[in-house]
Amino acid sequence: MKNQFLKLPIIIFFIILFIFFYLLIIDRNPSKVPSALLNKSVPSFNAETLFKNKKFSSSEEFGGQVILVNFFATWCKPCRNEHVFIKRFAEDQNIKVIGINYKDDAEKAIEWLKKLGNPYSSVAIDKNGKIAIDWGVYGIPETFIVNSKGKIKYRHVGAITAKRYKKINQIIKEIE
Amino acid sequence: MAPTLGNLALWLSLVFAGLQLYNTRKKKKFKIIAISVKGLLISSLFSFFLLIYLHVISDFSVLNVFQNSHTTKPLFYKITAVWGNHEGSMLLWIIVLTIFNYFIFKLYNKKNFIFVSKALEIQSFISLGFIIFTILTSNPFERIVPTQENGLGFNPILQDPALAIHPPLLYIGYVGLSAAFSISVATLALENGEKFPWYIYMKPFVMVSWTFLTIGIALGSLWAYYELGWGGWWFWDPVENASFMPWLLGTALLHSLIIVEKKQSLQAWVLLLSILAFLLSVVGTFLVRSGILTSVHTFALDPTRGVYILLFIAILSGYSLMLFSSKSKIYFTNNYFNFFSKEGAILVNNIIMVVACATVLLGTIYPLLIEALTNNKISIGEPYYNSTVVPIMLPALFIMGVGPILSWGNDSGLRIAKRISPTFLITLLMTIIIFLIYKSYTFLGIAGIIIAFWIIFNNLTILYRNKFSNLTGMVVAHLGVGFLILGITASSIWQVEKIIKMKLKTETEINEYQVIFNKINEVKGANYLALRGDFLIYNKEKKIIAKLQPENRFYPVTGNFTSEASIHTNLFRDLYIVLGEGNINDGWTIRLYYNPLVIWIWIGALTMFLGGIISINKSLRKIIE
Amino acid sequence: MFKNILKIIISILLVQISLINSNAVEPDEILNNQKYEIRAREISKNIRCMVCQNQSIDDSSSSIARDLRILIRSKIEEGNEDKEIYKFLTKRYGDFILLKPPLKTNTIALWFLPFVFLLVGILVILNHNKKSNKFIKK
Repeated sequence: MKNQFLKLPIIIFFIILFIFFYLLIIDRNPSKVPSALLNKSVPSFNAETLFKNKKFSSSEEFGGQVILVNFFATWCKPCRNEHVFIKRFAEDQNIKVIGINYKDDAEKAIEWLKKLGNPYSSVAIDKNGKIAIDWGVYGIPETFIVNSKGKIKYRHVGAITAKRYKKINQIIKEIE
Repeated sequence: MAPTLGNLALWLSLVFAGLQLYNTRKKKKFKIIAISVKGLLISSLFSFFLLIYLHVISDFSVLNVFQNSHTTKPLFYKITAVWGNHEGSMLLWIIVLTIFNYFIFKLYNKKNFIFVSKALEIQSFISLGFIIFTILTSNPFERIVPTQENGLGFNPILQDPALAIHPPLLYIGYVGLSAAFSISVATLALENGEKFPWYIYMKPFVMVSWTFLTIGIALGSLWAYYELGWGGWWFWDPVENASFMPWLLGTALLHSLIIVEKKQSLQAWVLLLSILAFLLSVVGTFLVRSGILTSVHTFALDPTRGVYILLFIAILSGYSLMLFSSKSKIYFTNNYFNFFSKEGAILVNNIIMVVACATVLLGTIYPLLIEALTNNKISIGEPYYNSTVVPIMLPALFIMGVGPILSWGNDSGLRIAKRISPTFLITLLMTIIIFLIYKSYTFLGIAGIIIAFWIIFNNLTILYRNKFSNLTGMVVAHLGVGFLILGITASSIWQVEKIIKMKLKTETEINEYQVIFNKINEVKGANYLALRGDFLIYNKEKKIIAKLQPENRFYPVTGNFTSEASIHTNLFRDLYIVLGEGNINDGWTIRLYYNPLVIWIWIGALTMFLGGIISINKSLRKIIE
Repeated sequence: MFKNILKIIISILLVQISLINSNAVEPDEILNNQKYEIRAREISKNIRCMVCQNQSIDDSSSSIARDLRILIRSKIEEGNEDKEIYKFLTKRYGDFILLKPPLKTNTIALWFLPFVFLLVGILVILNHNKKSNKFIKK
């Protein structure tokens, strides 16, 4: 009986070490959090848009095809860096990309998009950040993949890199 | 030249560590082992001081200097930045290991040659592991090509005196536990380990480790208190927990060592504790450097380094814990004693320290566990630890008040009750008085204050009965804990906070003080520019008692902004002001804090440290005998 | 030239700075109703700042922390209970945003183990006393 107790410390220790080892070798980012909205329907919202005069209504925009949703702002440097990939999604991959302009100046945003190119089918204005909170956004830029049934399938926090661009395209193909 | 020399010294220490391992295993003579011990010490110290030299002369051909220094950094911080980064702090790990190695070596006498050699063998293996890790993955003498003109500078909030000496003291603490580990493993590994007074050898090392771990943790908290801007000093951050767990086990260890010494009881338990305490120290270093979790304390690193450390922990823990499970039976002797006795109190202390440690460990790694099993992420923050660890510690603290009064062996409940009733009454009286003054109640608050006074008055009584001579380290250290709990409780439950916008030349109040926002100025510091507010503090009698000058600083080299609080301290409260955002038209956001009895946290920690020093002195004398 | 740079930097300092790690509730966020404000502070202390390292939104000066602090206050003023506010936040950010992990099937071990540890400890002491008393009586 005592023998079993004496073995306890080493057993517990090695279980803990194994968990550490597992976490080290898998692909994970300790500071990124998975979205709480995965496999849930897109949060419904209405908003003003940047370019068109008509309002943005989420019930009209989502459903029917795979859509990317990209939260961005002109004051956000990583958003600037990833913009080339957002354009590629729209132009090369022919994916509908909806932009959500987060806590920004509408005029500045229009200028920014005119200068850099506008990949978005429409841009909703989230002046006070409420839409972002409904989407569980905590650090822009953030990009979501929404499937043809209007369910959120994937979320990436941070700027899109070449590697991430490939991954997102892959996921989109798998969803279709 | 110098970088190459430093690297050479590091490689040399590798050679000496290997030599020491070989020599002790092959049971070579004293003189030969002495060469490897001294060679190891000198070469590691040499490489460490060379790294300091390189930082001081700002040799930016060295990657470590480039990444962490700048010509405009004040000299003191050039030196202390050496151990504020990952690679440099590995050198600190190594020199503390080799210094303790040397002191294990000093234990040699005619009778204990086999024993000390065995302990040195273990210690050399540990040193070897860390030196190999440093050379292979974290060599501070790595060069950068081409040589840079200037460095990247160093985070300004780390340029602070308390934070600067916090790592060396902390490392003496938890790296020093390696000596206790080595002695324990040596005892278990030897055929007749139980014939050696291993616990007498272990005690001074445990004393030193505990003492410096205590002051090291306290300095880190002190820094957080005055630097981070709202009077907080402990956040249950994973890396803080990583230093707290060895401290809890270290506390259990130094208490149970007393029993082993006096009664030869609980030997197997102490052998296990000393192994676990050091293993937790190494696990702590793993958490900080592997990139497995984020924390304000982590060095940004990659997982491959983590795998190396993990492998080393696996070898170390596998060997030591296997040895324990197979060889410890003979140490389960004579374990019986009465509950109402000093031994009984120490047993309760030990159990609670271990339960608390297990809980902290649970809270720290549970998020990782959940992530591994379910792909979900959860947070475990301060509220969890306040609900679990804090209540668990209360009984231990209560018993601490009574423990020293109990006698060894048998004691009766009635006798104890008679002895403690005076202090019980004083405690109640003081508690009632202080709550009449401060008027705010919570359950934990009342418990904390009662326990604090309980401990303080019991120990003051002991000191008084001994006419304040013959101070034992124990009584002083326990008194320190009483002060600590008083400060922690009072500042937590009776803190007054005021957040307002103030324009220049306006005034406000906090408790009995009047605060006038007098001026705002631009000032220039050594490597920063600052906006400084001048606040005049008046007491009830309209006399000026302080001028507080909080600053908002900008460090051009790193581009950091920091906020420096201004604090006025006395024995009863801290007055704490932080300058927030604002401008001349709308005024500035001002945060005022009235923190009662906060200084007693630091007084308590210092007193605990002094108690430790007194005890180290005593147990050193015992060895010499 | 240097004086100009100095002036620019000082004016940056005078206007808006984001200060690291300062306790962060701004005067303009504070509610007039003291009870509501205390509730808001208590809830905030339990909500994690998602872009910081181990800080609550009560302690963080980041933009998202401020947004959530304001959101919590407006929900309190609308009459929501604490439970509903937590539910609102976890629906969007997951359980990760709570600093006090909720009691669910995946956290039962977390909440019960400490008391299991304590129980085991007490049993060890009681067992030791029993054996000791037997031994001493001999």
